[in-house]
Amino acid sequence: MKRKILRVMVEVIAVALALAIFGIPLSYVVTNAGKTSVEAAQMSIAPAAETRYIKNFSEVLATSNHMLLRAFLNSTIITVVSIAMLIGVSSMAGFVMERRKSRAISWINFLVLAGLMIPPAVVPTIWVLKSIGLYKTMLGLELIEAALAFPFSVLLYRGYLGAIPRELDEASFIDGCSGLDLFVKVIFPLMKPVSATIAIITSISVFNDFVNPLYFLPGAKNVTVQLTLYNYISQYLNKWNLLFADILLISIPPLIFFIVFNKKIVSGMVAGAVKS
Amino acid sequence: MKRSSIALAAAMALLTVAGGFAADRQKLVWLQWANDGAQKNLDAIIAAFEAKYPIDIELEFKPGSAEGENLVKTRIAANDMPDLLSFNSGSLFQVLNLEKNFVDLSNEKLASRLVDSFKSTVSVSGKGVYGIPYQPIPAGGILYNKKVYAQLGLKVPKTWKAFIANCEKIKAAGKVAVIASYKDDWTAQLLLLADFYNVNVANPKFAQDYTANKAKYASTPAALRGFEKIQEVFTKGFTNKEPVSITYDMAQAMLASGEGAHYPMATWVLTSINQNYPDKINDIGFFALPGDSADKNGVTLWMPNNISISKTSKHIDAAKQFLDFFVSPEGLAAYMSVSTPDGAFAIKGVKLPDNVFPAVKDILVYVDANKTAPALEFLSPVKGPNLPQICVEAGLALKTPAACAVEYDRDVEKQAKQLMLPGW
Repeated sequence: MKRKILRVMVEVIAVALALAIFGIPLSYVVTNAGKTSVEAAQMSIAPAAETRYIKNFSEVLATSNHMLLRAFLNSTIITVVSIAMLIGVSSMAGFVMERRKSRAISWINFLVLAGLMIPPAVVPTIWVLKSIGLYKTMLGLELIEAALAFPFSVLLYRGYLGAIPRELDEASFIDGCSGLDLFVKVIFPLMKPVSATIAIITSISVFNDFVNPLYFLPGAKNVTVQLTLYNYISQYLNKWNLLFADILLISIPPLIFFIVFNKKIVSGMVAGAVKS
Repeated sequence: MKRSSIALAAAMALLTVAGGFAADRQKLVWLQWANDGAQKNLDAIIAAFEAKYPIDIELEFKPGSAEGENLVKTRIAANDMPDLLSFNSGSLFQVLNLEKNFVDLSNEKLASRLVDSFKSTVSVSGKGVYGIPYQPIPAGGILYNKKVYAQLGLKVPKTWKAFIANCEKIKAAGKVAVIASYKDDWTAQLLLLADFYNVNVANPKFAQDYTANKAKYASTPAALRGFEKIQEVFTKGFTNKEPVSITYDMAQAMLASGEGAHYPMATWVLTSINQNYPDKINDIGFFALPGDSADKNGVTLWMPNNISISKTSKHIDAAKQFLDFFVSPEGLAAYMSVSTPDGAFAIKGVKLPDNVFPAVKDILVYVDANKTAPALEFLSPVKGPNLPQICVEAGLALKTPAACAVEYDRDVEKQAKQLMLPGW
């Protein structure tokens, strides 16, 4: 009985802590998003004297000729296309690297790992993009985002494929599958959980990316959601209320995404962790 | 080389394709800070310019922090600068290799309109003019609440002693005498940086000797005073409680409401105070940071940021036309039609409207009497990256002023060596 009480107490404390750690900053953002710029500048967690969410939200939406709407569109396109490219390429690469054993594969494996470890350089990348005419285009940025997430995705796919028995490949060949058929009809559908994990994790990091769009996609019309945050802060003048309102607006899509796919993330992360 | 020419050709092809839609109007792209306080004023200049000439201006925004600097450097390295750029004047601008990357304007008519002290901050060792002033001249000193002064019957102090005496009275009245907003650590430097007029009066060759590694903060009593002043306001109990949890924005609220009487800051804060407390802006006055002698009282001026033209621009003539319009009476009239400027312009023969903020009028008294000096960072390329943190240490009495000065001298040394200055 005593033990049970203790356990309940620990649980209550843990939940309270989690609420404090995640809830306070969030409520801070939410309350400040509804204040006037004067009130928000005081950086207090106290509720607003008069809430003006609608006014702040519409002001954020109207900033710089409705820049935010364009940013939402751009970010969504970039996220969807780069995830599609990433999953297509890295699942095939992971499949081949897992199944084929040769010396070349160990070298390729080394290169993929190098991609995880060596940080990307900005200026040479811009040179490359310019020389193939992809600089300042959405396609250029989508390729970069896909390339940056490629090594990690390949590792995840390889780990997962280890749990899919080779006998399946052999059986498919006996039944008359070609190599491509095997991948498209048998293997890829089996990898759905890990594909979902990769899609979720990378789509959030791509959607929330700040640095890469800043450098590789300059131009007034090429803005992405994170870049809109800079409309409200500078060294000498801040509009905290609008900044927080913008944060709220741009965190809605990832939030919905996360809530809907929450279960898939966990199942995908542990998929392939235990080999049987 | 070959690759870059291919890239250029590709870029040109893209540009011509894009230009095909714009018909006979030229388009200039201006890489500008996001959320500039005077953006509406600049928009007014752009609108007036577009109405007069067949040229359109498109703004592209960059962040204001170090991220923005990196972005500019990256785009220069990638040979991809927009036509126009706004950037800091002085030592930060010099790093961009002006002769190679930007158009020299010294032979243009507009150069003759610029004030000489500004020109020196956008030239390479005295040669060339690579930018025009983008905003009014900010001045550093003490912003004070006039209502508090009137209530307590205080006079604007001309010496540090008088200032301390005023602070004692304000403290006795239960108010914060000196607002310290060390949560934004850059604000801690203002007492030191704005004190440079006094350093310069006591020691006119300081900037020169400092650059040549002959003078040091620790060994020059007048320069050391800056650190001492930061500490003195704390040890005498004039600052607010918990300086490290007060931000720049909170400090403005304290000053505007009269909860605090003095705020060591530069006048760029006025736009922000006017945004948040428009009914209080007329209560705010300005005086120069007091020195030790009443008849040698003057103000330290920052130099305005600048707009420059990239050498890689395809429309250099159009860009020159824009800059010429910007500094012309017509352009400035458009600027002032939106709101009053928060300082004098670094352009000759500009008359400010009568309804400028009272604090700006206070500055003009010093400017008209020619009692001004540029801040040290515009006279010497030597400025250490850790000054904000060191000033906070002085301001919380974690270290003695002398120890802070020694630490800053060491901080500066690294940077001077990186710039490969002679004598270091």
